[in-house]
Amino acid sequence: MNVLGHGEVKITVESDIAVARRAVREVAMQIGFGPTEVARIVTAASELSRNVHKYAGSGVMQWHAIENGSNGGLELRFEDHGPGIADVSEALREGFTTGGGLGMGLPGAKRLMDEMEIQSALGQGTKVVVRKWRRQ
Amino acid sequence: MSVRAAAATKRQESGTRGLSPDAGQELLQILVDSVKEYAILTLDSKGYVTTWTPAAERLTGYKAEEILGKHFSVFYPEEDVSAGKCERELEQATRDGMVEDEGWHIRKDRSRFWASVAVTALKSKDGTLRGFGTVTRDWTGRRRTEDKFRAFLESAADAVVIVNPKGEIALVNSQTEALFGYSRAELLGEPVEKLIPERFRNQHLGHRSGYLAHPRPRAMGAGLELFATHKDGHEFPVEISLSPVETEEGTMVTSSIRDVTQRRQTEEKVRRQAREIMEMATVPVVQVWEGILLVPLIGMLDSARTQQFMERLLQSLTQTASPVAVIDITGVPTIDTQTAQHLMETIKAVRYIGAEVVLTGVRPVIAQTLVHLGVDLSATTTRASLAAGLRVAFSLLNLHVAAETTA
Amino acid sequence: MQSESIAVIKLRNTLLVTMPADPDDSTIAALQERTLEAMSQYDVRGLVLDLSKVEILDSYFARTVSETAQMVGLMGGETIIAGMRPSVAITATELGVTLGKTRTVMSVDRALELAGQPAQGVKAR
Repeated sequence: MNVLGHGEVKITVESDIAVARRAVREVAMQIGFGPTEVARIVTAASELSRNVHKYAGSGVMQWHAIENGSNGGLELRFEDHGPGIADVSEALREGFTTGGGLGMGLPGAKRLMDEMEIQSALGQGTKVVVRKWRRQ
Repeated sequence: MSVRAAAATKRQESGTRGLSPDAGQELLQILVDSVKEYAILTLDSKGYVTTWTPAAERLTGYKAEEILGKHFSVFYPEEDVSAGKCERELEQATRDGMVEDEGWHIRKDRSRFWASVAVTALKSKDGTLRGFGTVTRDWTGRRRTEDKFRAFLESAADAVVIVNPKGEIALVNSQTEALFGYSRAELLGEPVEKLIPERFRNQHLGHRSGYLAHPRPRAMGAGLELFATHKDGHEFPVEISLSPVETEEGTMVTSSIRDVTQRRQTEEKVRRQAREIMEMATVPVVQVWEGILLVPLIGMLDSARTQQFMERLLQSLTQTASPVAVIDITGVPTIDTQTAQHLMETIKAVRYIGAEVVLTGVRPVIAQTLVHLGVDLSATTTRASLAAGLRVAFSLLNLHVAAETTA
Repeated sequence: MQSESIAVIKLRNTLLVTMPADPDDSTIAALQERTLEAMSQYDVRGLVLDLSKVEILDSYFARTVSETAQMVGLMGGETIIAGMRPSVAITATELGVTLGKTRTVMSVDRALELAGQPAQGVKAR
């Protein structure tokens, strides 16, 4: 695998969530994240892939190894053409629930990662980007 | 045709300055005879030897009477003769005017020497081929040097890539083939940028001309992390040292390349261990008894410190299989929402791994703040002083131990 | 990738389930199904869930565990979680999940010891 690179995992069936987790774990370890950081990143990736599968049916996760000066990090992008989120700030509020259980997992993913950006609107699909930097 | 005749023709064509024809000829003859390093001789248009010199005799061992009239292929090894090398040289010389070649030559005593040969076609003004002039130089010494050089390259531990002034790969050793995954043939003549990740290629062009402007032996890209690209596309970190070599073709650059993936990983490990040691110093975890770990927190708990603290505490608890963690917050001046949240998370995480928390050092003002913040510590055992907390810790431990023995 | 099957083992009066390192959704669902099957089949006091190999616990996994514990409770049993790793514990708290009415202990040994004893008023986690 090319560490200084990028890749993607298509999310079409439920088992792809686990595929995405495995891919992210591999990359995160290669970039040099410690075990707890890896756990955080993979858990966030699991939540966000699950969102794609649950709300849009299918989509894609892309990963990019990123650099900020001399520090390395990992960026994950989740894109789907699903129904979209009507109110993003509402979805980010702790405890927000749309249906069944723990809601969209966005607040959790945000907590686990360093940066999060969401682009979404009703009927226009959703794009979520998260980043984590190595601790120095 | 003899040298004298050739010289005469030349004089007719170009004119010799200030000398009588005979004097000029004599000089030329002396020149040809005196040149020690080069054997100059002439052949007729079919390749038979027509003139001979003392230098040629020294070089090959043949006396004039033994060699005049013989075909010049006697100087060549059998394998070259049967491969048609001699005919080819004459043909090329006739066509292009001159041909240069290197190869083994044979002496009268059947010994070999490495020769550099230049064969020139001698034509009269109207273009008729009159014969050939050959200049042969013994380069055995150089050949041995070259062989030694090649052997040295192959024995080098690192990959060696030699680049010509145009930036093309001129020479590589087998370590280069192994390191990059290309065969020699795939590399020779290619621009050296082929071995560098695309995003650095443009920069490298600039660096190359910079180097050629002030060539000297040095490490490449001091302070930068360098990467190389394997044939299959993957990248790996490298260290490169450069050395200029002056040759007839200009300044060649020898680069010695070492794969430092292993070293980077070790460096990374060392860095991480150093960081862990640093963390240990800032968040001490003390074993006060078998089964009881004490963490005296000092200062405010920001996100970064909390993360470090949580990881260290949980790691220590699992490693020592300690069922009780005493977290003492006597040294925490104030509790804000963030600190309270971090504290709650830590307590929750400790419970998840199967240990219990005793929170001590909860001074009146802290207790007040916690209540006002709405923090629910009802499920946690808390005490105002460390001493009281340790007493609770021991009784929890005894319960734990007692439970084990009754089961 | 095929889902890994999980085994539900009956040990004296307890059920023991060992979860693999990164179970996919169908394996996690199987945890619940197989546990309930076994609970109705055998007369046991509860479930010991061995999470010592688990590297990731996302919200679906946590919810399934919580639901399973609730169902076990309704059927008169207790659920003990054993061996959760520090990195999993940390991410679970940061993610904000709940594991429902469960006890947590450090090792499977300890869990089996406790499982043999009468239930002691379990606190919600």
